[in-house]
Parts: sequence; C-alpha cells; structure tokens
Amino acid sequence: MSSDDFDSHLRKLMAWHFGDATGSPFWLGKRATLGFDPVSDVQGAADLLRFPDISSELRSVPAGQLIPQGLADRPFRVYDSGGTTGAPKRIVDSGYRSRLLEWAHGRLVARGVPATGNWLHLGPSGPHVIGFDVSRYAALGNGIFYTVDLDPRWVKRLIGSGRPEQAEEYVQHLLDQAETILRSQDVAVLSTTPPLLEAICAREELYELVLAKVRAIIWAGTSISAESLRLVEEVFFPGTAVAGIYGNSLMGVAPQRERLDGDEYPCVFEAFPETTLLELVDESGEQVGYGERGRVRLHLVAEEMFLPNILERDSAVRIAPTTPGGPDGLADVQTFATIDDVAVIEGVY
Amino acid sequence: MSVVRIDPVTGGRPVPSSDRATLLGVTGEPLADIGQAPRLLAQAALNELRRNADGVPPGAALIAEAARLFAGADLDGESVDDYVGRVTLSTGLTAATVRLAVEDLVKEIVALPETTAAELPVTDFGSGFRTRWVPRGRVFAGVMASNHPVPNATWVQAVYHGYSVLVRPGSRDPFTPRRLVAALLRAGLPADRLAFLPSSREVGEFLLRKADRGIIYGGRQAVETWQGDDSIAVRGPGSTKAFLDADLDDTLLDHLVTSASFDGGTRCTNLSAVLTTRPVAEVADRLARRLSTLPVLPADHPDASLLVLDAHRAEQIRRQTAELRTELTDHSARHDAHEPFVRLEDGSLLPRPLVLSADRAGHPAVGTELPFPFIVVAPWTEADGTAPLRESLVLNLLTEREDLAERALLEPTVRKVTRGTVLPWTAVPGIPHDDNYTQFLLEPKGVVSGDIDTKAGRHLAST
Repeated sequence: MSSDDFDSHLRKLMAWHFGDATGSPFWLGKRATLGFDPVSDVQGAADLLRFPDISSELRSVPAGQLIPQGLADRPFRVYDSGGTTGAPKRIVDSGYRSRLLEWAHGRLVARGVPATGNWLHLGPSGPHVIGFDVSRYAALGNGIFYTVDLDPRWVKRLIGSGRPEQAEEYVQHLLDQAETILRSQDVAVLSTTPPLLEAICAREELYELVLAKVRAIIWAGTSISAESLRLVEEVFFPGTAVAGIYGNSLMGVAPQRERLDGDEYPCVFEAFPETTLLELVDESGEQVGYGERGRVRLHLVAEEMFLPNILERDSAVRIAPTTPGGPDGLADVQTFATIDDVAVIEGVY
Repeated sequence: MSVVRIDPVTGGRPVPSSDRATLLGVTGEPLADIGQAPRLLAQAALNELRRNADGVPPGAALIAEAARLFAGADLDGESVDDYVGRVTLSTGLTAATVRLAVEDLVKEIVALPETTAAELPVTDFGSGFRTRWVPRGRVFAGVMASNHPVPNATWVQAVYHGYSVLVRPGSRDPFTPRRLVAALLRAGLPADRLAFLPSSREVGEFLLRKADRGIIYGGRQAVETWQGDDSIAVRGPGSTKAFLDADLDDTLLDHLVTSASFDGGTRCTNLSAVLTTRPVAEVADRLARRLSTLPVLPADHPDASLLVLDAHRAEQIRRQTAELRTELTDHSARHDAHEPFVRLEDGSLLPRPLVLSADRAGHPAVGTELPFPFIVVAPWTEADGTAPLRESLVLNLLTEREDLAERALLEPTVRKVTRGTVLPWTAVPGIPHDDNYTQFLLEPKGVVSGDIDTKAGRHLAST
C-alpha cells in the first residue's frame, strides 16, 4: 500500500469515526475539544499528529464507548495491554484483528513457518490478545491449538517485589505443562517468549523434545539481543524456522520480514501497511533517519479502532523500506527504561 | 593504546558476539570493545563443559606453566606491558600495584600443591585405610569483581583441582581472566575445560545457579543472594579492623598506615577501621596527617600509590563520603592540602585518603569499605566487648590482652586474627583467607584397599 492509498483510507475513516451515526461515543465526545475538524482538516498521515495521545484514557474509559456505533450490531471482545506500565489499556475487537492476522500468517509462512500443523502457545492468553492471535494462526492452517496459560502480571509482581525465586518456580511450572503436551502430542509450531526459550534451553529433556518435534518457533513479547537470536537459530535450533513478531494490543502485530542480503540487523519487523503506521521519532517528535534509533510512535487507522499519535514504550532502529513507498522496518526493538516514572518490568512476557 | 577487541571464549576459541559493549578507562577513553555473552551463550558453554567434565586434575606442571606464561608471554597479541597498561587504565589501580599483582598471582598459583597439602588433614590411616580428597562437583563458576587482579587465583585453583570452570570477569577488568584463560589453554589445558564469559550480572547469577560450586566477589548487594548457600563461596566487602590498645608510637603508626594504604587501599584486606582505648581524635589526626603525605600522581606513574577513578564512579563515592562526613568527624580535611577528589590532567579523579572518627564503637559507619585508604577511628571501652570487632575479614590485635584475643578468635564472623605489627594479608600456604577454600572445593572419600587388617576394619565400621 502506498502512502497515497493510506491517506485516502485515512480520509474515509475520519468520516466514519467522526460521523454522528457511525463514530464511537469516545471519539465523538472528543471532537469538540480537538480544535480542528478531523473530517475536513485531516487529509494525510502527517495530520494525525494534530490528535492528542489518548492512550492513557484507554485505562479507564468504559470499553463500550470505544465501539463505533456503525458496528453496534456486531459482537465485540475486550483485550488488555500487558500492564507493563501500570493499569492496562483496553482495546475492542470484533473482526479487524482476524483480518490483520490473516496477513500476518502469510508473512510467517513466507518466513518458513509451516502453513499447516498444530500450534502450542506457551504464553499469555485470557485478556492478553496474543493468545487470540496465536489461536488464529493455528486455525488458519487447520491446526490444533494447544495452550499453556501464563499470567504475565503475576510474574511481574513477583519480580518487582523481589521474589525472583518464585518467578523461577512459576516458569518451571509452565515448562512442566509444555513438556506434558509435547510428550504425547504433535506440535509443529511453538509460540513463546525469549525468556521462556532460554528456560527451555536450560532443561535438557524439554529442549530435546522441542528440537525433535517442533518445526518452527515464534518468539514475541519481549526483546531479544542479536547474539541471543543467533544462538537460538544457529546453535540451539539449527533446523527449525525461527520468526519474531513485534506487537502489542494497541498496534497489532508486525512480523519479522524475510531476511535480505545486506541487512544489518538479523530481524526486521514490518507492520500491517493497510491500517498501521509506525514512526521512529526523536525527543522532539521528528522522525529519525534510517539506521538511527528512535522511539516508536503508532498510528492505527482501522474501522473498529482509531488510535492516532501514540507514543509507545519501545525504541527501535529505523530501517529503509524494501520497496519504494513501502513501510519502514523496525530493528533491535528495546524497552524504554522508564515511562511516566513507572519502572518497566519486562518479566517473562 | 589501541582499543582491543575481546570476545567470549568457549571451547578454546573466541565466539564473536553480536552484543557489544565499550569499556571506558578512568580517563573516559575507550579501552576495549567487548563481546557480551547472553544467557544462551552461557548455557551453550555450560552444556559443553558439563558434557566433557571428568574431574581429572590437569596436573601441577601445566598450572605452573600457565602461571609462567601469564607473567611473561605474549598472549592473544598482548604483552605483559600491554596487560599492565590496560588494567591500570581500566581499574585505576597503579601500574606498580598491577605488576605486584602479577607476581602475587604467579606465587599463589605455583604454591597450589603446597596450599592443598597444608589445607587438608592427614589422609593415610595405615593398613589400607585412606581418604581421597576429590572435587565436590564437576563445574565451577567464578563471578569476579574488578577491584584487584589477585582474586582470579581462586578459579585457577578450581581448574587445578579438576573442575571445568566458567568465568564471568569483572566489568572493569576482563583483562586478567582473559589472560589467565589464554595462558591455561596455551599451557595445554583441554579447550573444553574453560569458558570466559563477559556478561551481565544476571548471567553471572545464572552461572552460579547452574554450577556445582562457585565463588562470587562483589558489593553487599551483589553477594547477599548467595549468603548461606553452601555451594557458593561469598566474597563480599571485607572489613579489616585493628584493635589499638597501645600508645601509637611510630612503629604502630607506620604499621596502620601501610595496612590501610598498601596497593592504594584496594585490597579487601586493607585496614578500614581502628577501635582504640586511646584518645580517638589524636589517633585519627596522626593517621590523617601521615596519609596526607601520599602523593597525587596519575596511576601509570612509577611512584604512584593511590587509585584513580573515572568521573562516574568518583561521583558515586563522593556522594557516599559526603554522607559519612555529615555524621562523623573529618580528620583529613585539616591535614590534606588537596581537595577530597583531585582531578588529574588525564581526566581521572584521585580520591584522597580519608580518616574519619566516630563517637562510639557501635556506629554503623565502622566497617564501611571504600576502594582507597579510608579509616574510621572509634573509641572502645570494656563495656563494648567483642561486638564491634565482629564482621571482620581480618582483625589485627594490637594489645597484650590474651582474654580479648581468645574471645575475638571465637567470634564466628571474625575470619582471621593477626597479632602485633603483622600486615593483614600476611600468610603462608595453609593459613585460611576466609575458611578452608581447598575443603570448599574438595571433599573426602574413603578408600579402603583389599589387603586390610580385617579386625581393624570391623572395629571402625559404621552402620
């Protein structure tokens, strides 16, 4: 999708989100306070910067007010952000995410993930959208979906309150369950987090099981260093496809794109270009140059949710598009040390 | 000096890591480009070591050859002078201290057979009854600090006894363990016996959890997790105290000043507290006056004796000493012509020796350790008893009182006692630094051979 296409998509959805009959109570209520007319004044992506960052309000606004009235006849679900930075932010989803995940699944398959086969998700589910995401990937390949539930907030609480040995015990409890599944069930794809991958590699029998059975590993949820990724791919799981997904509840998912000759970073993520614009910006809000590190700024323009001008908790290196007019890539994603004076605890997710 | 590239070493080869960190020297100049070992590299190294670990000691000759190479050879393209220069710039230790450390490391390593014999009891009980002391496990982890090179002898000792060893170097001194690893490999140690893993604190803790035995050096916070863990030898800040129950004549003054300032006050055995029955202010003043004569010189100057710091570390210590000064009396300020932290031309900062006095023996500042000549003098009276003498790596008794000497020796947290004008680190093989380290590494097993006296066998048999 070119930037012209994105701009025309944006103009169409401004009329939708700020239309009296179609917009959500949340955005309609904001309209008078914006100081500009979103329908006539927002013509292109650059104009999204005129919106305030409303992400903090997502912690408290009743979720029903986020649903566009034009979609009132559809069933919605609420998902939370991880809660890494205090109270979680809420999003609503009916069918958009599934569309996004179809695109993402195609990207994963292009990266070598089996198009069919069963999935084991060793990660959060419940209010955390990643559990839903992975269930969709499995379903798109007619695969059975196995889960081991992980409560990331409990892990963060354990680590944050100086109880690392209990966090470790919890991790072993999760791995026990994964091992039980892997012993008797066929699993083609394992979806988990970098810290849990490390923990798997520290348990010989479990590691051997994963090595023998699993044909692809998807990692997401926390950052991974370049050397750790090399070790996962070359030393611990040399015959296994390994794909990373950068994502969160608000932004959606940005799977790792194919590796190209001349890539300076082993893992470059790209977001869903139809609805999502990720910019990497410096402290003054200007986009950084290619090869430079900036903080992630998100604009999500979808029929079900409108999330403009949101400064994320992550920083990344900006990578030039692979095709002219294509989306920027993100590499070496890292968590900001502190945001709003709340220490960020990454935990195992 | 050119920036040296350092990488983790496993299986005898460098592993060029994509995760890199730049080590800056005390002057702020980059010294080394260091490849970091993430946890998965530590795991891979651990797997490799454990797969091949058999507990067979490599032999005293190989270890002695490694010590010789460490002290004299070009290793990884690094001469001894390069090595001394790098450690001086990275740690702020004076060049003289580093050269002496090389000598001391060699002495300690070469003396390992003697130390082992001295730290183990009789093993031959006659008539076919013997004990053999063998490693308590196969894999050892050494998590080192950067205050001084000599502690690296402890993991070499584990190698000597047959352990396979993973070393996480101190963040400011990767040079010493890297050079020792190179020397051991060059001397013929099998490549799968050693791993050198520059890494984060978390990876160090991971290694300690996974190894059978380990040692950790560090500040109070770094070591507290491991207190009470029998498989880990904990080497935290070691307070060395003197009990001064005599008039401070010149001999005693020389002795205390050397105890506090030798090697720039960077040893864990440097004196940091004096408890005295004599007038506190007078003792403190005389110590301060004498210490104030130590010259201000850059660390690489041949006459330098005091540690220098980079700006960041200097600021941390400045805050710490400023806080101590609010509670205690500063005796150095009036004797020392210099600022407490002198900025040298090369950009490094030199903390001046500092003598403070407290109003009571139980003051919490008594026992504070800082990496330069630093002494807290406090009054001691009979009513204080041995309580203020506790928590001492070395306790130097300058008293005639046998009763007190005996009671001090019985204090569990007093680890070594010196009497008279004996410097705190004085030892011969067999004198424990902090418990019996050989017996920490080795355990006894009974070996009873076939031609035994059967009557004696029945007599000794336990059920």
